[in-house]
Amino acid sequence: MDKKINVVLFFLIVVGFPLALILFPKQKRSSEEKRNLAEFPVFTGENYLNGLWAHQIDKYLDDHFPFREDFIHATPLFHQAKGFQLPNSERVVVVKKKKDPKVKEEIEKDTMAFLDAFEENFSGSMLIIDGCVYPLGGGSPKMSKYFAKMVSDYAANFPNIRVFSAVAPLSSAFIPVAKYRHFNGQNKRTLLAIKENLTNGAIFSDVFEELNNHSSTKLYFGSDHHWKPLGAYYGYVAFCKSAGFEPVSLDKMTKKVKYNFLGTMYQYTQDPSVLAHPDTMEYWEPMVQTEAVNFGAYGTSKGMKAKVFYATSSGGNTYSTFLGGDQPLMRIKTSVKNGKKAAVIKNSMGNAFTVYLISHYEEIWVVDLRYAKQNLTQILQENNINDLIFAVGMYAAMSHGTIGMMRQLATQSGHYIPPKPSEAPELPALNPSVQPNEINDTIHQP
Amino acid sequence: MVFSSLTFLYFFLPLSLIFHYSSRNDLFRNIFLTVFSLVFYAWAEPLWIFLMIFTAFINYGAGIYIENHQNTTKAKVGMVAAVVINLTLLVSFKYGGFLYDNLNFWIPLPFDRPSNSLPVGISFYTFMVISYVVDIYRGEIKAQKNPVNFLMFISLFQHLVAGPIVRYSQIKNQIERRRVNWNQISQGVTRFCIGLFKKVAIANVAGVLVDKYLDTHLYEVSSYEAWFGLVMFSIQLYFDFSGYSDMAIGLAKLFGFDFHENFRHPYAAISVADFYRRWHISLGKFFRDYVYIPLGGNRKYHDRNIFIVWFLTGFWHGASWNFALWGSYFGVLMILEKHLKKGLDKIPSWFKHSYTLMLIVFSRAFFYFTDFGQLGYFLGNLFYSKNSIKSGIASDLTTHCFWLMLVVLCCIPWNEIYHKRHPLTLKSMRAYAYVRPAVNAFLLILSTMLLVNASFNPFLYTRF
Repeated sequence: MDKKINVVLFFLIVVGFPLALILFPKQKRSSEEKRNLAEFPVFTGENYLNGLWAHQIDKYLDDHFPFREDFIHATPLFHQAKGFQLPNSERVVVVKKKKDPKVKEEIEKDTMAFLDAFEENFSGSMLIIDGCVYPLGGGSPKMSKYFAKMVSDYAANFPNIRVFSAVAPLSSAFIPVAKYRHFNGQNKRTLLAIKENLTNGAIFSDVFEELNNHSSTKLYFGSDHHWKPLGAYYGYVAFCKSAGFEPVSLDKMTKKVKYNFLGTMYQYTQDPSVLAHPDTMEYWEPMVQTEAVNFGAYGTSKGMKAKVFYATSSGGNTYSTFLGGDQPLMRIKTSVKNGKKAAVIKNSMGNAFTVYLISHYEEIWVVDLRYAKQNLTQILQENNINDLIFAVGMYAAMSHGTIGMMRQLATQSGHYIPPKPSEAPELPALNPSVQPNEINDTIHQP
Repeated sequence: MVFSSLTFLYFFLPLSLIFHYSSRNDLFRNIFLTVFSLVFYAWAEPLWIFLMIFTAFINYGAGIYIENHQNTTKAKVGMVAAVVINLTLLVSFKYGGFLYDNLNFWIPLPFDRPSNSLPVGISFYTFMVISYVVDIYRGEIKAQKNPVNFLMFISLFQHLVAGPIVRYSQIKNQIERRRVNWNQISQGVTRFCIGLFKKVAIANVAGVLVDKYLDTHLYEVSSYEAWFGLVMFSIQLYFDFSGYSDMAIGLAKLFGFDFHENFRHPYAAISVADFYRRWHISLGKFFRDYVYIPLGGNRKYHDRNIFIVWFLTGFWHGASWNFALWGSYFGVLMILEKHLKKGLDKIPSWFKHSYTLMLIVFSRAFFYFTDFGQLGYFLGNLFYSKNSIKSGIASDLTTHCFWLMLVVLCCIPWNEIYHKRHPLTLKSMRAYAYVRPAVNAFLLILSTMLLVNASFNPFLYTRF
């Protein structure tokens, strides 16, 4: 008898849900996901043979599964049952937008559309609005001058190379809540301070302004600390404007999509509301052929084949689609034949930005300011680089440590030197005439 | 299509069951099952179905030819030809790109690199047909004369995508005539629900942690995090693969087939050899019967035979040198264990269990990193890293502590331990039998919930 119950119950479940799917009315749009649900696909021979039809059927069944929203709402219970939950979402409050006339006036000037109602909480120094995590802050104009000085020193030491500053603002600049709008101004002031302090012909790319003009669309991930490829694209547009290039429009690139990205901000906050709102990453691949090589942290003689876009990067690693994540030194050769070469000094923020540059340069050297130990002076001189671009996130421009690393790139030996953890990072003055082995000798002096 | 999808669970499976049990005629049932299996295979990659049908056609003919010329040179020629054709197809479609890369490295080749995708299940069904023709040649089985039955044997959706490697001799009687009873179907339901839960609620959860700790910036990973990542990958591999095998065995029972066990609590092993007597048993038996014993087994060149078998086992897992390294690693460990057997036998079991687990978890690094540069960097981090431990690992352990307990409990062979000491009483068996339907329903609904949640793709900011 118990066996029959077991079988019948199983059969009722596996038959019951499809019957409910057939009989229940179907939604066309998910209000929670803010998207249209999949429609039943039209069968064509071509779609069937390339597997698209089957994929669309899967999608349709996923989207219209009976009690779908109830299942989704119940899922956090499973995740909470996996272990003890960390107390990071205690301060959940629903805040209605205040009818403050001052705020209203300020909003009317903005292209930003603010939320009328939202869920807000904090995790450490992070603000979480409707499952999207934002850092609080917007840099400091005082720190901008140190970054600007470093960039300007490069411009002075390499007069034949155009040197660009393309610093991305923090996502706090675009929090869709009126009461946090002051972070927008703070980001703007910090980045404009870089512009004001650049000298020696160093060129400022106004990334903030370009992003701010498009702030009605989502430019940063909610579950990750990086900008979305669309945000990076506007950063690239800003760079093109400053470099005298015609930016390639997105419709001339190949658009692709990846789903279910839960990035570093989710890992950091472990917040259920972030978990319930994984990011979708739309990205665009320029129609340019490339050959890329990773050299590792030391030397440029031996390299491993690499790619500009990694289609298989997924899950928490989705952002590694661009350049395969942070590689110390990468060389990209493109099918563009214009003789132009660039070097990009970047942190991870620059990865999504750099991929757009392949439309404008024959060769690009991508240098990660944290991991590359090669000598940048050698790279610039031996490869006849035309443009040197500092494409970093604001954090990198606001720290003496990372500014020091960017300075040190020009003079470091390129050979392995064991780090001395107790010592603070040095900020050597730029002097490309100093040969790498000389630096090496001085460092090894007792 | 995969078992752990809503399309399979709630549309393909009930439809195939309804069609299968709508007729009492075995031939009709086989026809329905074959059609459903072909639909299952062709769901995402319709073109590769022709390769599988071609393979079935060749081996169907070869089987009859070998049987008709039994004990003659023609039979041997037929068998060798069939094996060569099968291996050629496998090498061409699975290892073509790998061979091209390696040859092209030394001698530039005048043609482009093959860029085909890997035909799903080719490693499994190729080994199935090889065992089929070799067993006929050895006179151990009779050739299948009915082409529908043979195509069904090759294409059965229960084992097609990820095994186990089912031998014809195991299910030949069930292909011709299946007797199904409530007990068998009930066992199938239970096994399937457990397998689904293992895949969706354990392997997939471990997969998120694997991505976090292994698919990341290796420059920042500390030794503790590297080991934690490897442990998570070991959990993911076991629960993913054994979960799939459980589902395959359960589904087979639903349709009246009995597949052999493919896993027997491998993480309870007390030696590396013991581990592989418990892990992917059908593959181990294939290599034992069709490679190891023909090479001479333990009668001559024993060490060489062990090494060859493990080198090939490594390559079977993937067309990349890291898999060969992985196989060679186990080949060397097996040989060492064989020579040190007397000494190892004197060691306490808990120590043997610990060193076995350590070696197995370590081997997962060879399995995970296909790039030798990354592998080298990771192995360096594994034993010596100056990177500090980030707070994430403590928070992951805290937020997953009950889940980890469940994982450990699932790895322990309770049946082996408990039954030895306390044989189950009729009363306790009855009590469990009445709880089982509710447990199965809970596992099924829970797995469904997680699968539904995976389809949640919000576009939050389109409202702005």
